[in-house]
Amino acid sequence: MMKLNRRTLLRGTVGGALVTVGLPPLEAFFDSHGVAYADGAIPRRFGLYYWGNGIHPERWTPATIGREWTPPDQLEPLAALRDELTVVTGMSVLTGNVIPHGSGPAGILTGSPAIVRGQEYTMAGPTVDQVIAQAIGGETRFRSLEVGVRPGPGLSFNGPDSVNPPESSPHALFTRVFGGGFQAPGSEPRVDPKLRLRRSVLDAVMADSARLKQRLGAGDQRRLDQHLDGVRELEKRLARLEESPASLAACAVPTEPALDYPMVDGRQPLSDVSRAIADVLVMALACDQTRVFSSFFSAPINNLLFPGASAGHHQLTHDEPGDQPAVNAIVKQIMVELAYFLEKLRAVQEGDRTLLDNCVVLCTSDVSFPREHRLDEYRCCWPARPAER
Amino acid sequence: MRRPVVPSLLGLALAGCLATPQGPDTSAAPDAPPSAPVLRRLTAGQLARSITELFGPGVLVTRPVEPDTPSRGLIALGAAETSISSWGVEQYEALALDVGEQALESSSARTALGADTHDGVVDLAATRAFAERLARRAWRRPVTSEELDALARTGTTAAGALGDYHQGLQLVVAAILQSPHFLFRVELGEQGELSAHELATRLAFFLWDSTPDDALLAAADSGELLTEEGLRREAERLLASPRARVGLRAFFTDTYGLYKLDALDKDPAQFPHFNSELGALAREQTLRDLESLVFDEQADFRTLFTRELTFVDRRLAALYGIRATQPDGFASARLPRESGRRGLLGQVSVLALHSHPVASSPTLRGKFVREVILCGDIPPPPAGVNTALPEPTGTTLTLRDRVAEHLSSPACSGCHALMDPIGLALESFDGVGRFRTLDNGAKIDPSTDLDGLAVADAWELGQLLHDHEAVPRCLVRHLYRYATGVAEPAPSGSDDPLAGLTERFAAYEYRVAPMLIDLVVSPAFRRVERTR
Repeated sequence: MMKLNRRTLLRGTVGGALVTVGLPPLEAFFDSHGVAYADGAIPRRFGLYYWGNGIHPERWTPATIGREWTPPDQLEPLAALRDELTVVTGMSVLTGNVIPHGSGPAGILTGSPAIVRGQEYTMAGPTVDQVIAQAIGGETRFRSLEVGVRPGPGLSFNGPDSVNPPESSPHALFTRVFGGGFQAPGSEPRVDPKLRLRRSVLDAVMADSARLKQRLGAGDQRRLDQHLDGVRELEKRLARLEESPASLAACAVPTEPALDYPMVDGRQPLSDVSRAIADVLVMALACDQTRVFSSFFSAPINNLLFPGASAGHHQLTHDEPGDQPAVNAIVKQIMVELAYFLEKLRAVQEGDRTLLDNCVVLCTSDVSFPREHRLDEYRCCWPARPAER
Repeated sequence: MRRPVVPSLLGLALAGCLATPQGPDTSAAPDAPPSAPVLRRLTAGQLARSITELFGPGVLVTRPVEPDTPSRGLIALGAAETSISSWGVEQYEALALDVGEQALESSSARTALGADTHDGVVDLAATRAFAERLARRAWRRPVTSEELDALARTGTTAAGALGDYHQGLQLVVAAILQSPHFLFRVELGEQGELSAHELATRLAFFLWDSTPDDALLAAADSGELLTEEGLRREAERLLASPRARVGLRAFFTDTYGLYKLDALDKDPAQFPHFNSELGALAREQTLRDLESLVFDEQADFRTLFTRELTFVDRRLAALYGIRATQPDGFASARLPRESGRRGLLGQVSVLALHSHPVASSPTLRGKFVREVILCGDIPPPPAGVNTALPEPTGTTLTLRDRVAEHLSSPACSGCHALMDPIGLALESFDGVGRFRTLDNGAKIDPSTDLDGLAVADAWELGQLLHDHEAVPRCLVRHLYRYATGVAEPAPSGSDDPLAGLTERFAAYEYRVAPMLIDLVVSPAFRRVERTR
């Protein structure tokens, strides 16, 4: 466990994205960007693992500092990952607490206060995953991938009013990554005359948009620019299909997920979908289809009915009195799913390291203690081995 | 106020049974002012309907597009404010290619598009003519010759490379459908005036939630749409079409958030009879009521809150405790006073949507009424407040007793006083909208107050909303936002810029259709603010 002093934290939250400041494990990660994968170096990846409605600060904090920590109650499901996991305590979000469940994500993911409109808000700038994607996402087929367990807008933003919604269907995610546009590592480049034609259509779209843009006001110009970024990215993706993909030992096409996941006892199959998505996402990383991801287990203020719970998650965080055993059980269920994902990452061998060793995953939520929408005693963790970097 | 002029016979004939009188000229309040020009992305529904209109029912929209994002509670505003993600662009491309393939592979669609006549594999003139026919309709405006040259080049290059004329045309379709001129509604105006084609686009999406038909484009071509009479005539024609019902449904689905009924999470242990289908059925009930009220009955909009007449299927009838009159599908039914329900707020759609998965919520229901029905503002809850409700004890059994904390604590009561009292009148309905008299074993007391007026129960709440001055004003505001894509009209001194429309709505005895036409011919709809 690592304690951040207030000064480090201030630098972190004021300086833009929380993770770009001098935190040892992340420094190691940032030093590595720019290393060309083609040279045989294993790429480093960044991911966000996010769940809604917070944690219990005391039950989420190891009793001791240092590597030999004992997992506290809510981190019990991550016990097997203890040696890989760094738990960060002593943080507060200092960018204001105006919108419950909104000011937290804005502060921790963008380092800025949210842009508030009544009860709604949008991010003032790009979220940390997209800042990093700008730096290291250009090498891969997908600049970033966003996934979620239930449909919803997610929290990955390119800027104000520009969200990257997560895919919540395991099958659709599989098709997107491993469907027609996927080239097995080491295979021959594709010869398809249609690829070039599709690119020329995109060129025409960009020319059209550029003419239209001249007639627009500043706000709409920015929106059309976001659209054009997407078109350019798609064009690059098509061009890459005509190149030889790198050979990757750890890459294997995952099993095609089911089209639908049935309800479990009349409730959403949260665990089943979460795991099916994790399986595809892990292979998307192993196959170097992307190096940046955001995984939203659940959304801020979600009122999901978890197995065994007597009410929706958000309602329980506010209405359950006393020690909130039902909320506690829900947080632990989420940590079980986080552990599943991290262990899948660890199961992929990349040279003498694991895929998990080559990832930094920022794991956090929108509040610390949800009953009071608190943003002090904020917690996050990431799997990283600072000593080895 | 003078009664509206009796509608002309022609208006009646055109509009079926729709009365669309000329607006009364007694209003002292000014017209709604022009709004800022905005670029609006087609919503998923508009995109699908446009493709069906362009290519016929043989071409299916089977690929998903990026979900719509609401802003200030309205998807119509989100479409004017948000951008598409890179994945959204990828989905647009896949959809455009798929539609191109379907359209040129089905012989009926091919014939309808005039894609059969050509000379050899590479036929520049035929390709250009094909592009012109389609792009004019897809982009909802005449196409410039440079634009046509580019599209024709795309088509002939592709036909040459692939050795097939129709495969070339597939790429033309893909190019037209990926263009920002299709994906966005470009309503920018010149010198503050919308062009005839921009106006046609705005009108069709407002009243039909779809792209203009050929007749509307012709009215734009001839310039007829730029005259008030011409615009009024087209608005009346569109309103008389069955497609206006689709448009009305789209408006209320967005405004009342009824699309959320597809993803209701309800605890099967608490509500064994609820499943995902019931949400969609409940939405259908509400939309049928609105359709009937506006088009068939041409009734006072405010009776939405006091109606006994409704439409239910077998499953909804069981939930309401009334007899279904037919085994399948929806049929008209009456919810009498004994049902305890009255109008919109007695419907499963509203009651289930604004509840928790296991319980009702006076706060969420009151929030819906305050914000969406009365257009009141509620600030977000303060941070750092302990929000736990007290546990049921011997004396505080019901949710009403327990939420009393909201109203007695100064930190909470400022906002909760705007919501909870309204919702308490609806406590006689559980988390999916079933009538009940007991909560947690104790008798429910639904008496409450609405802004100082005593309310005995849900029945009386319906009457008070019917009489509430904010209700018509609020509907006008929603329609303004929906029509223009702009959240607030430009301020005009201290007056409500929409007061003129609201007054005329009253003069029409709160019938919706004539007010829609007034909105269409107002400066708010026909003009935009000059930005440069």
